[in-house]
Amino acid sequence: MSDDDETARPDGGTASQSETVEDERSEEHPLEWDEPENNDKAPDERDSVSHRAEKYDDRKLVTGQAKYTADYEERYPDLAYAAVVRSEIPHGRVTDIDTSAAEAMDGVEAVLTPESDAVPDAKYTSAGQSYPEPSPWDMHVLNEHVRYIGDPIAAVAAEDRATATTAVEAIEVSYEEDDYVTDPEEAFDADAPQLFEDGEVENEIVGHDYDRNRMAHIEGELGDVDAALDGETHVHETEWETIRQSHANVEKHTSLAYTNEDDRHVLITSTQVPNHTRRQLAHLFDIPIRDIRVTKPRVGGGFGGKQAMVVEPIPLALSLATDRPVLYEASREEEFYAMRSRHPMKVRAKTAVTDDGDIEAIDIYALSNTGAYGSHGMTVAGNVGSKPMPLYSKVPNARFEADIVHTNTPQTGAMRGYGAPQGTLALEGHLDEVARDLGLDPVEFRRRHHMEVGDLDEIAGMMGGEGAERRIRSCGLDECIERGKEAIGYDDLEQPAADHLHRGIGMALSAQGTGVAGDELGAAQIMMNEDGSFHLQVGGVDIGTGADTAFLQIAAEVLGCDEADIVVKSADTDVTPFDYGAYASSTTYISGMAVKKAAEDAKERILDWGSKLLDEPAEDLETGDGTVYSETSGDSVTLEDIGYEAAYGDDEREHILGKGTHCTEESPPPFAAQFADVTVDETTGEFEVHKLVVAVDCGVAINPGMAEGQIEGANHMSYEMAVSEGITLDDEGRAEVADFDEYGLPSATETPPIESILVETHEPTGPFGAKSVAEVPTNTVPPALSNAVRDAIGVRIREMPITAEKIKTKLDEREG
Amino acid sequence: MDIELTINGERTIVEAGSGDDLATVLRQHGYIGVKCGCDGGTCGASKVFVDGEVRMACGMAPADANGSEILTVAALGTQDDLHPVQQAFVDNFAVQCGFCIPGMVMQAVALLDSNPDPTEREVREALDDNVCRCTGYQKPVEAVLDAAGRMQGEQSVAADGGQPVGTPREEGDAAGCCGGECDE
Repeated sequence: MSDDDETARPDGGTASQSETVEDERSEEHPLEWDEPENNDKAPDERDSVSHRAEKYDDRKLVTGQAKYTADYEERYPDLAYAAVVRSEIPHGRVTDIDTSAAEAMDGVEAVLTPESDAVPDAKYTSAGQSYPEPSPWDMHVLNEHVRYIGDPIAAVAAEDRATATTAVEAIEVSYEEDDYVTDPEEAFDADAPQLFEDGEVENEIVGHDYDRNRMAHIEGELGDVDAALDGETHVHETEWETIRQSHANVEKHTSLAYTNEDDRHVLITSTQVPNHTRRQLAHLFDIPIRDIRVTKPRVGGGFGGKQAMVVEPIPLALSLATDRPVLYEASREEEFYAMRSRHPMKVRAKTAVTDDGDIEAIDIYALSNTGAYGSHGMTVAGNVGSKPMPLYSKVPNARFEADIVHTNTPQTGAMRGYGAPQGTLALEGHLDEVARDLGLDPVEFRRRHHMEVGDLDEIAGMMGGEGAERRIRSCGLDECIERGKEAIGYDDLEQPAADHLHRGIGMALSAQGTGVAGDELGAAQIMMNEDGSFHLQVGGVDIGTGADTAFLQIAAEVLGCDEADIVVKSADTDVTPFDYGAYASSTTYISGMAVKKAAEDAKERILDWGSKLLDEPAEDLETGDGTVYSETSGDSVTLEDIGYEAAYGDDEREHILGKGTHCTEESPPPFAAQFADVTVDETTGEFEVHKLVVAVDCGVAINPGMAEGQIEGANHMSYEMAVSEGITLDDEGRAEVADFDEYGLPSATETPPIESILVETHEPTGPFGAKSVAEVPTNTVPPALSNAVRDAIGVRIREMPITAEKIKTKLDEREG
Repeated sequence: MDIELTINGERTIVEAGSGDDLATVLRQHGYIGVKCGCDGGTCGASKVFVDGEVRMACGMAPADANGSEILTVAALGTQDDLHPVQQAFVDNFAVQCGFCIPGMVMQAVALLDSNPDPTEREVREALDDNVCRCTGYQKPVEAVLDAAGRMQGEQSVAADGGQPVGTPREEGDAAGCCGGECDE
């Protein structure tokens, strides 16, 4: 996406899906995918990938023996502990930092300010994205110009946590305060306080206008939306609002830095993006990439909050200053006010629909509040349109536009769903209203228009950059809708006996992507041991998702061995091959395909050795049950025999190694159909959600048990967006939430039962037919619940969260 | 200050720094299964038994635990010989990142100790102050119900190698008193 491209598509085209275009593009995006024969296995032929294999780290996790970053504490007796001084004002300049009292304290090892030698001057973005990041370089590690309550100003290392905290409290910061703005619409006014000067930011993003606090503007159009809206059709317009959601990863952002005996700088850190973090640290500290090692132990949840170099520079700078290992573990309060959150947005949806119920145009506009800095600002906003709108890929006229605006509020960032939840609320809530206004069944209305196999999806590519035009080769939406309807009891809903109670069902569809189209890379290596076991080294990052187990199952499926015969080592930049990291629903699809390729590479060598030992052509041989066997003679040789022969044989020897690397232009959408069953009390507006049902087409589910877990967890996060306030801010942009008891994460009793349904399709571009699963169910509960309330009692809540008070107000308005 | 504790059956004197909570003290002595996810007493990841009662160790001053018997998750099963609750969490895919799981397992053990046949609602109520971001509580609730079933039938307890809940293993048990975490 270029800086000066203010119009529509990068190719300059505005045509919709005419036949000519379709012909020209059939070759570029063929429906038939050149899929290896071994990739498409019937369920009963799959030895490993479809098993509910035990998650490989579970026994360590349930016994409390697994190690997360903070658990490495005991390994470093000279460990120092970090704490951070953060801005107490929403906007201004630091005029003085008095560190004398802190420096005089026993046990304080270092106090760093923006002036300190160990603190980098360079600008950067914390966004853990490919290079150059599609996020502006607008941050400093420590700041003299502070832009929100929480901006880091100084950092302390001390011999224990308590001393570090006391020292931070003893540091006195003087400010010259500037005017501030916390509302995105006000920030967009020409005379609003300005967060960045023009030219101050490096790596600027398309459409930036810092005079109006705009870090980016994006737009794309197919056909002629204005003409369609002007036509004689039903034009509807609705506006929706979403919350500032916390990732609330139970393991806080934690990072341990030290310099090892070989003068190399090591970070043990809770991250989704080890390789990006290594590159970004190298940039900041002017250290060669090769001299930095980023390694990820078990991670206690990420959800996008760790798709960023949020804390790592601070312990590294303190470690360089003190020559000691330094651990920085954010407090829970810092998690809420100084780490990352989901971009709160206002999203407007507009459609033109004919009398017959054909959708002629969809027009969506988003105003995104990126907070004080712009990490992930443009790309998240892009996904507001590019993820949900392709659900209706046959609509001839489509437009998406977004402004991404700075305010003096906490930083936002990547979060599971990545813009799609905001867009899905607007689109799926809007279409529900349109259907009801036209007297159509909302489910049938969606069924009539949704994407199908064979569609050429231009909408995903209409803004260029992230997301690309694509052919749809797998789509289980019809079955998702059908099975979801049945599970929720759509056709035989019983109304409560009491007259004041009203029950309804709402539905919403969703599509996501599987990796960033054309902007992913994963790699893996497999080494065979002489006993026939394997080591799998893979850059893919398991942040608690079970990715390591999925990798093992994919490798075992190819190698014909038991998963337990493979040892997996992932996400250590010194040891494992390169990987972009765990984000954009890419891990199983991209890193998993790299694992598959590595396993196939190793298998080729294994069959070659099998051929020697069995004296049969390799083409007749196959792997299975820990052996190489002949499909013609029935003879077999064990992997162990092959391992020993390859390592210690008399004539020739070889270390059997397989490598795989994977990138692709494809990003096939997984799909979801969400249903919510609610009863609303008309006297109070109070409501009870009886059940959530979500049916998901993730292609072939690699380990269905883990896939269900992903779906249910995502749906819980989605439910929170529908019913909770998120991180609320006071007038100065200060987070009003400091700990879990103040944050509205639905607890076990507050969470309705969630029924997940796996609808299997086969995606030919994914490993064994898989596409992604973990994001798409994050998008759907806010619209489904809004639609359910509408269905139950006839009022519409468009501003999240849905509360009894809002429903009651709407009911009172209707009565009045 | 010095605090006397019996941790997973082992009597020990531990030193607690000023401002340290019980979770920090236990972690410093190697009981890393005691997790810290909040700023004190709100997430449930640090749940342990203190004299038979399940408590968030991070919300407790070490002095208040002086003289008490502490059981951490390490007192339940070992990787090769899981407690039925742990086994049920594994078998039901109730574990994702796992950070909250030790606390949740301890809470589940406490529940089944006092109520061996809970309803789904009772399980949800028991887990109400255990924060989990990964699972939506669906599979953990199913796991606890499954564990209740396993522990009710003697056969399945034996098959799983289960131990009486909420109590340390007998001396001489192959797994040791604390799942191998102490020196005995």
